[in-house]
Amino acid sequence: MTDNTLELQQEEKQFSLAKDAFDRLIANKLAVIGMLLVVFLFFIAIFGPYITPYDFLSQDLQARNQAPSWAHWFGTDDLGRDIMSRVIYGARTAVIVAFSTTFLSLIIGIFMGSLGGYFGGKVDAFIVWLIDITMSVPSLLLVIVINVSMKPRLVNWMDEQFLLTGNSFYRNTILVDFVLVFGSLALIKWPKAARIIRGQIMSVRNKNYVLAAEAIGVPTPKIVWKYVIPNSIGPIIVYISAALGEAMVFESSFSFLGVGVRPPIPSWGNMISDGLRVWQLYPHILAAPAAVLALVTIAFSFLGDGLNDALNPRQWK
Amino acid sequence: MTKLLEVNNLHTRFKVRNGYLYAVNGVSFTLDKGEMLGVVGESGCGKSVSMMSLIRLLPPAAQITQGEVLLEGKDLAKASASEINMVRGSKVGMIFQDPMTSLNPFMKIGAQLCEGIIYHKKMSRADAMKQAAKYLDLVGISNSEHRLHEYPHQLSGGMRQRVMIAMALLGEPELVIADEPTTALDVTIQAQIVELVKELREKLNMSIIWITHDLSLLAGMVDRIMVMYGGSVVEEAPLDEIYKSPRHPYTIGLLKSIPSIKTEAGSRLPSIAGAPPNLFVEPQSCPFAARCAYRKERCTKEIPPLEPVSGAGANPHHRIACWVDVTKEPAEPKEGGML
Repeated sequence: MTDNTLELQQEEKQFSLAKDAFDRLIANKLAVIGMLLVVFLFFIAIFGPYITPYDFLSQDLQARNQAPSWAHWFGTDDLGRDIMSRVIYGARTAVIVAFSTTFLSLIIGIFMGSLGGYFGGKVDAFIVWLIDITMSVPSLLLVIVINVSMKPRLVNWMDEQFLLTGNSFYRNTILVDFVLVFGSLALIKWPKAARIIRGQIMSVRNKNYVLAAEAIGVPTPKIVWKYVIPNSIGPIIVYISAALGEAMVFESSFSFLGVGVRPPIPSWGNMISDGLRVWQLYPHILAAPAAVLALVTIAFSFLGDGLNDALNPRQWK
Repeated sequence: MTKLLEVNNLHTRFKVRNGYLYAVNGVSFTLDKGEMLGVVGESGCGKSVSMMSLIRLLPPAAQITQGEVLLEGKDLAKASASEINMVRGSKVGMIFQDPMTSLNPFMKIGAQLCEGIIYHKKMSRADAMKQAAKYLDLVGISNSEHRLHEYPHQLSGGMRQRVMIAMALLGEPELVIADEPTTALDVTIQAQIVELVKELREKLNMSIIWITHDLSLLAGMVDRIMVMYGGSVVEEAPLDEIYKSPRHPYTIGLLKSIPSIKTEAGSRLPSIAGAPPNLFVEPQSCPFAARCAYRKERCTKEIPPLEPVSGAGANPHHRIACWVDVTKEPAEPKEGGML
């Protein structure tokens, strides 16, 4: 009997912590729903142009403000553009902005956070001070200020460059919108990333297994790669998932206010803003992008919660 | 006996907010090949820091300000970072206090064990794994081939400590520093680990420094005991000498405070009155003076050197750092002193 159980234990497959966490994530229904929605969103964003029934700019002035129908699932807007196509393109905008800003904020955050966490002392005090200052600035105000002060200059500069070089790259003012949105969002969001990374580095660095690895002479790059990073990645993954969702909402609100991505490039924010003017007459114009935005936000928070539960050992039940 | 390690006047301090914490203040000792040395002292007396200083396994705030650490004639205190990295894990192995947190939960046992020797001995992964399995057998882990592919959370505390011991031994070190390796384990496992270390020492003929605050644990295990207080060595003697004729007032107090089977039930256990010394100021006198029952005028003014004890029949290897000869002086109750 005892021998049998022993053998059974030995036959048991070895599970890593990562696999463990993934199993916990899969067991969480809401997290799975969130994950499927997020995957679907990415799919739409990547393959959008190939699946949209209409071009997002093509106007059909004979079919303005149409209610949803088989031809136009989400209806058409005041210029007769297919709303579904525009929502799908809006997903592209949202995903591009979300990824770039999260990526940018992570780069700045990793740089600042690891500097502070590694060196400690005065460097750390300075970085914490910088984080506090940045966090204390109201984000909306900052973005508006950046937009108002930088945009005309940037556009002027690009015009000049076009005149000087004749390079058509400089005619693309849509790029300015995106760059400003990425830049200002990353500027707002890096402190959070820096804080998380700083804390992680500080705590993992002093862990006994890092000391034990040092004691058998494991070279530092290997310690960072195999000991510090795997053990600190959990909260960073959760941060990334939360930040992606947050960035989409931020992008939408800025576009809604007219300081983000501007028409005719579709963004859920500027579509909502357009729809708001006529919502009493044609509620579907407002409803489609608003519902999609809400759904995506919920999906990201479900996924984020699920990841947090799966990766945070203190919450293991 | 050939000398393996010679430490001369080692000083280590930590940079703190307003100044320094003087953790190790002039520690000197030698260790022969195959010898086992016990280092005893209360928490914060610098026993761990001084031994960690040997291979410079210290937090960034620490600095070794003085002294030399000669391992087979080579000064580790002045070696470069890459040189010290080669010493760690190949010449000197470490066993840590808390086996539960000393293994990376994201790596399989085998991978962690091999990490050091792959680097030091330029072994292939397959060879290193074979070697690791051999050492797991040696430390008494059954089914070692299989265990290599397990994660730390699948092992018990005692088994993890065995793994840590295997990890320290894998590089075939000349010297193993065991930093309270049994403190986090329960008593039966503690006994097993002690037995294991004794056995391994016989088999592999290595030198061991065993750091502990438990004097009774060292009886029957080590060859020599070094008692530390306030960052310096106060007494050093062969095992029997320490128990039979302790000469430093601190050692005497320490031995008195061990409960024995003869201690009357309900009676108070003797303790050393006062608090450990303030290490934020560089010591200018005997660190134990404030708590000492034998205190003399001189004790508060000069640091006593570590010298062989005097007197008839004294063991030449018995050294103390004390101005007073406790065999001749009666203990007097002093303000803040123990009795």
